[in-house]
Amino acid sequence: MGIKTVERYGGTLKEKLYLPAIAAGMMTTFKHFAKNISDTTQVPTTQYPLEQPSDITDRYRGQHRLTKREDDSIACVACFMCATACPADCIFIEATERKDGVDEKMPKKFSIDLLECIYCGYCVEACPCDAIRMDTGIFSIIGNNREDFVITKEKLLATPGAFGKENSRAR
Amino acid sequence: MFSVSGVLIALVITSLLSLGSVPILVWMERRVAAFIQDRLGPNRSHIFGFRIGGLVQSFADMLKLVVKEEFYPKHIKFKFYYLLAPAIVFGASYLTFAVIPYSNTLLTDKGLSVVQLLPTELGVLWFVGLAGLSIYGIILAGWSSHNKYGILGSLRATAQVISYEVSMGLVIVSMLLTYGTIYLNGMVDVQGGLVFGFLPAWGIIIQPLAGIIFIITAFAETNRAPFDVAEGESEIVAGYHTEYSAMKFALFFMGEYVAMAASSALIVTMFFGGYHLPWLDSAALLDNPKILLGSIGVILVPLLGGMIYWMRKNNRIKGINEPQHARETKVLTIILAITLVVSELGILSLLNADMSPQVASYIATTTQVLTIVAKIFMMNFVFIWVRWTLPRFRYDQIQSLGWNILLPLAIANVIITAIVIVMLGV
Repeated sequence: MGIKTVERYGGTLKEKLYLPAIAAGMMTTFKHFAKNISDTTQVPTTQYPLEQPSDITDRYRGQHRLTKREDDSIACVACFMCATACPADCIFIEATERKDGVDEKMPKKFSIDLLECIYCGYCVEACPCDAIRMDTGIFSIIGNNREDFVITKEKLLATPGAFGKENSRAR
Repeated sequence: MFSVSGVLIALVITSLLSLGSVPILVWMERRVAAFIQDRLGPNRSHIFGFRIGGLVQSFADMLKLVVKEEFYPKHIKFKFYYLLAPAIVFGASYLTFAVIPYSNTLLTDKGLSVVQLLPTELGVLWFVGLAGLSIYGIILAGWSSHNKYGILGSLRATAQVISYEVSMGLVIVSMLLTYGTIYLNGMVDVQGGLVFGFLPAWGIIIQPLAGIIFIITAFAETNRAPFDVAEGESEIVAGYHTEYSAMKFALFFMGEYVAMAASSALIVTMFFGGYHLPWLDSAALLDNPKILLGSIGVILVPLLGGMIYWMRKNNRIKGINEPQHARETKVLTIILAITLVVSELGILSLLNADMSPQVASYIATTTQVLTIVAKIFMMNFVFIWVRWTLPRFRYDQIQSLGWNILLPLAIANVIITAIVIVMLGV
């Protein structure tokens, strides 16, 4: 157990004068000021509506979408796993029998209330069929009334993914 | 010495420098802060697509504060004092400007006259009196808002201003000894000369210690960073203006900037040569109007050209073609170019005509006014620059700096100045 002696600063005359330190600090801030005012285009600020964010990766949790199978039919089997996992209770599913022979069950209605949704991604984690994803890259959702924010099955199916992987990878 | 036209011109300049410059100073503060912190700052609000670098934002803010609801907290007992407080702060700051001389070359029928709002020679005393008076507004605000944070903030502000006023007064005494006058224009006259034969006799060169102490105390007097404990957000919400809203708050806010501009004006007048260009005193300006005018014409080209170049380079977003920006750049380029051409033509026609003493005096006055305005804005920039560099002092550090360091230094400075003046037998 040795003793570590911490060096104390502020004892010398130069440090006690305080003005050299202030001058050094002001030089630092002035360098930033001069650099930025001479070329404002290199300031890292994103000027949002004119300039769109460039840092949205495929792990970004944007607006939801429903994926399709290889034959272009809906991948969801209406198992209610997502609705059960949802902590905000914002997924509303109504199941029906599937008659085209691809599977046994499919959603008749599948809507998500985006005003309730907290974008936690639990629905994506819970889905056994890779049928719901949040890879649209859409982060700005606009509507004039509350109903506009409840997106239906048709709209969820019509929204494309932003990162190239379109279809469900289940099975 | 004083003339009606001088007072009227000074009234216009004073109003522009105090009231008119508040939006510009707020804009400067926000944009400079942003650039120092590698941000952009407010640059969005516009009128028909004209942003003018974000300057429109200040006017929008002001309009918002003017039309906001006048809200009076229920617990306020003395509404008169509550309303009087911001008026005192603002009025005292505004009146401080009244003794700043802007020029002394205005030729009237009574001879050369000084451009100064109040025809009085008690310049420094007026400043000291009013700078002390604005603290009454702050303590009245804290007391009448009947709010713990308010009273704490105003107490802090008062104690701080009283502590620093002592050193400030002593520094002013040493400057009075140096210049031998309390009249600000007399001080500026002295600073028009040379010291050691080649340096301009500016206060900061003759009395560097006094200059530094005066600048520090001026920061404390205006309650600006790093001495802004009076509104320490982390401890006392907003200090003395916690209970104020809308235009009442705006008066405090504007008062702060006007006080800053007034302090800058006094610092410039006492320590940075006032309206004098270095090495060029009033007589030199009056004697050589043609050379002066010619050099103004030469300087205008790189100045306005640089503005156009800077705007064309920076009024855009990298990689994006924005029609609004492009249109603004185009229109402003045309306006600036026309300004440049028209002023150059005007200067050329004046150069060809015969120079009457009257015209020469107008040219010299304009030069001096522009000089002091430029100097005041540079000093304002220093105020802003310091605010965004230094963190806020702790309260005991403020008091110990004021009483233990600045006061002894100021006293020593007075004594040494007095001894030197007696020894030199000036």
